Amino acid sequence: MESIKVLQGIRPSYNRNLILSRLGYKRGTTGLDEDFRKLLDDTIQRAVSLCPLVLAYRMVGIEACAENSVKLEEGTVLSGKGLSMLLSQSQQAVLMASTAGPRIMEEIRNLMDNGRTSEAVILDAAASEIADAGLDFLMDYIGTFLRRRGKALTRHRFSPGYGDVGIEQQAHLARLLEIDRLGVTLTETYMLIPEKSVLAVAGIIEITG
Amino acid sequence: MTRQEFRALFSNRVVILDGATGTQLIKSGMPVETCPEKWAAENPEALIAVQKNYVESGTRILYTFTMGGNAIKLAEYGLRDQTRELNRRLAEITKEAAAGKALVAGDISSCGMLLEPYGEVGFEESVEGYKEQVRGLLEGGVDLFVIETMLDIQETRAALIAIRELCDLPVMVTMTFEDGMRTLMGTDPVTALVTLQSLGADAVGCNCSSGPAEMVDILKAMKPYARVPLIAKPNAGKPRLVDGKTVFNMDVETFCSYAPLLIEAGANALGGCCGTAPEYIRKLSRLAQNFSPQKPAKPILGMVSSNRQTVFIHQELPLTVIGERLNPTGKKFLREALVQNNMDKVAQLAREQMEAGAALLDVNAGVPGIDEPRVLVNMVRAVLDAVPLPLCLDSSNPEALEAALRIYPGRAVINSVSGEKVKMEKILPLAAKYGAMFILLPIDDNGVPETAEERIRIIGKVYEAARVYGMEKEDILVDGVVMTVATGGQAAGETLKVLRWCTENGFNTVVGLSNVSFGLPARENINAAFLAMAVANGLSTAILNPNSQQLMDIKRASDVLRARDVDAQEYIRHYSTVEAKGVQAAQPAKAKPSVYDAVLKGMSDEITDAVLTDLDKGISPQDIIDNSLIPAIQKVGTLYEEKKYFLPQLIKGAEAMQKAMEVLGPYLERDAVAGIGKKGRIVIATVKGDIHDIGKNIVALLLRNYGFEVLDLGKDVPADRIIQAAKDNNADIIALSALMTTTMVEMPKVARMASEAGLEARIMVGGAVLDEEYAASFGAYYSKDAYSAVKLAESLVQDTESNRQK
Repeated sequence: MESIKVLQGIRPSYNRNLILSRLGYKRGTTGLDEDFRKLLDDTIQRAVSLCPLVLAYRMVGIEACAENSVKLEEGTVLSGKGLSMLLSQSQQAVLMASTAGPRIMEEIRNLMDNGRTSEAVILDAAASEIADAGLDFLMDYIGTFLRRRGKALTRHRFSPGYGDVGIEQQAHLARLLEIDRLGVTLTETYMLIPEKSVLAVAGIIEITG
Repeated sequence: MTRQEFRALFSNRVVILDGATGTQLIKSGMPVETCPEKWAAENPEALIAVQKNYVESGTRILYTFTMGGNAIKLAEYGLRDQTRELNRRLAEITKEAAAGKALVAGDISSCGMLLEPYGEVGFEESVEGYKEQVRGLLEGGVDLFVIETMLDIQETRAALIAIRELCDLPVMVTMTFEDGMRTLMGTDPVTALVTLQSLGADAVGCNCSSGPAEMVDILKAMKPYARVPLIAKPNAGKPRLVDGKTVFNMDVETFCSYAPLLIEAGANALGGCCGTAPEYIRKLSRLAQNFSPQKPAKPILGMVSSNRQTVFIHQELPLTVIGERLNPTGKKFLREALVQNNMDKVAQLAREQMEAGAALLDVNAGVPGIDEPRVLVNMVRAVLDAVPLPLCLDSSNPEALEAALRIYPGRAVINSVSGEKVKMEKILPLAAKYGAMFILLPIDDNGVPETAEERIRIIGKVYEAARVYGMEKEDILVDGVVMTVATGGQAAGETLKVLRWCTENGFNTVVGLSNVSFGLPARENINAAFLAMAVANGLSTAILNPNSQQLMDIKRASDVLRARDVDAQEYIRHYSTVEAKGVQAAQPAKAKPSVYDAVLKGMSDEITDAVLTDLDKGISPQDIIDNSLIPAIQKVGTLYEEKKYFLPQLIKGAEAMQKAMEVLGPYLERDAVAGIGKKGRIVIATVKGDIHDIGKNIVALLLRNYGFEVLDLGKDVPADRIIQAAKDNNADIIALSALMTTTMVEMPKVARMASEAGLEARIMVGGAVLDEEYAASFGAYYSKDAYSAVKLAESLVQDTESNRQK
């Protein structure tokens, strides 16, 4: 198992349309006047400045891949049929973490308390997207190094709580990524604090031609 | 090989590089999990076979197989102590493969980790890691170096500095750009070029990245500003999944069909990266013989960069504003901030100046008694974290300047080098070593010359000294030396003479504007008039306060009058925006929104006035609610259901309505009228173990707006507390929220306890992982979003009411 690598202060490019879509915007149907567009853009910019991303990743060998579970080299078993399919061609997995930190949540609560819920929901959606963009960045970053070694990352990744990867799998990733080093903790109900944090796993595959 | 000899290689031909080596070695049996460099050193015959094949295919510069051979990368395999030896050996192997038919380039790449402040590797640690590799490659006899597949401009600089501090061999540098023409760390091609060619790269370009088609645009962007040959070494397309396997599937013919386009775009050297093989290079080599490459240009622009953008400086371009406010002289608050290492203030000043129109920022850490090298470095880091602007490093302390130049991830301007002996001896070499532009201050050890003629003599002296280091006029900004006009005489006139002479002789210029008015009242007028006169005499840049509107107005107008703002485009763009704002501000008569419109458009700031106006007209509070607020919020709900509004607009409407109700509150109490809030009583909570409450808060807000009385218990609320609150308040509905599968299990528990307590309250639930089926399994009702929750609550209350009536 390789050591954990930590990156911080990264400003990944995020997809504005995905933020809008999280908020229920429907292109061609939803109408925005100029004032609202400005509020939206200014608030998204504020989210960017309030989300100093901290990212981490670690390469882990895969010992065995069964139909519904994957056993990692140090003995951890991750369960999930979809995850197992994703990693079926891989001899190594990469575990990843992205956190937007606590400031954004403080600001969201502050806005809520002051009756500015509309801005709070925009910040909330933007922060979720920015934390996800951190994982996109990591996958591009790792992919560049792998490419020259005849390898690539699987196109998709799995995060606990999505598909058939149970939220309780969060505990395995949290432990292996030592998320406390990133200022992130896991509650008894497997929630990450700060809330705008996300863990994921992807596979490393060989490029054959 | 000398750098001049290297340059001559490109005089009339496209130089052919090699293709992918690692993947060729994997095909020859190199295990994928091993350290590639170690394996190749132990299996030289396999490497020699691949590399000979490339030479026979037409490769003229062959890369050593040492891409992962830096000390930090080798440490991952426990081989750090073998760095020098491995690199020496691998260079010797490639020399053998080249057999004198190709030049051998010592290949250097990323250590696989990011440098501070993004990653854990220190800048000097990185430089030292590369130096160990460079020593080995030099011992192995490489002819030149190549730094390739770089994602981070700062790590690229570290590698280039490491080479330059050990030898004067030619260095080629190629970075990897993503879709969108930026490196993963956000550097665009021109900025990479400007930074690297000024730091001493002998050729610059791109490799890996994507396929050849995308590289055409990258080269086109670089070419007008390239003093050095350009390189393109693309992949064979992008990796694709074919029959369950990941492959690079661009064939030789398709790959090589881009060669003419790449050469036309400016490529002086071509090769291949991932997915290519000797047959790609063979075809490329044959094709390239039919084309003559473009020669490197000699740009006349001054070019400065940060890690994220480049600024061009020239007397025919709009005046470049250098923000002066990051200077503690005369600013107590900044002095104190610097002493306390409080960089928030520094970042704020940087942002303010950028927003006001500064293109560069002057950074000065000159506080008596302060550790200037440390503070200047901290300021540079804080400013670059806050804004993307290039910086002007303002210090007379060579140690501070070198510390800042070393970690500055672009091409800086040094402020300044004068004709004083110590400055020419200590600071000019720093400008040359780190490739910085510099401000030439025409004073010398005899002080400030009064006449333009004497200043021009010093300009000539410093320029000649700079030329010895290979610097050109475009690397210099000449300071006109502004003295106060308060003491009388021709101070301003002499400065203008210097500016005119510089402009006529191809030098870019700068003035520190505010000195001119020192000691006079109403200084802004003098500063503004002098700025206009200086621009008329060709001034290229000015160090001034960009937050002075008068100065920025004069700058924009002067740019138009001197035809530096082509077709007044920038002027029109700026002032049409400003005037539009002004017109809006000057229209107090603009129709005030009605209460209905204020809710519909979410105008929380305007709704108080609208409500008070209606009350003044004698409209009763109840009528305002019944005829304006409720119809408006219902319309908002309809627009949301039709997706003509999205969530923030729905909430904005609710916020405006809430504000209106706050205004009406005292009137409702006084008149003892019904108001709203009588539809039913709801206890709402996020269940125990769940800390997500934004969704629940939105539901509560909307429910209140639609006439419900809502008691919000917050988040992470135990079941017994929810039951007690429902009982105490005689709730009609218990509304529960949970976001995770691990916490939604609390919901059935609440339902069971409500039943056991004999509560009649209906239970409605919501949250990302829930659905109707799950809710029904414990007798609850599900709503998919906040507005549906309102509809559901209304129907549940009506249902209860009709049951009671029965």
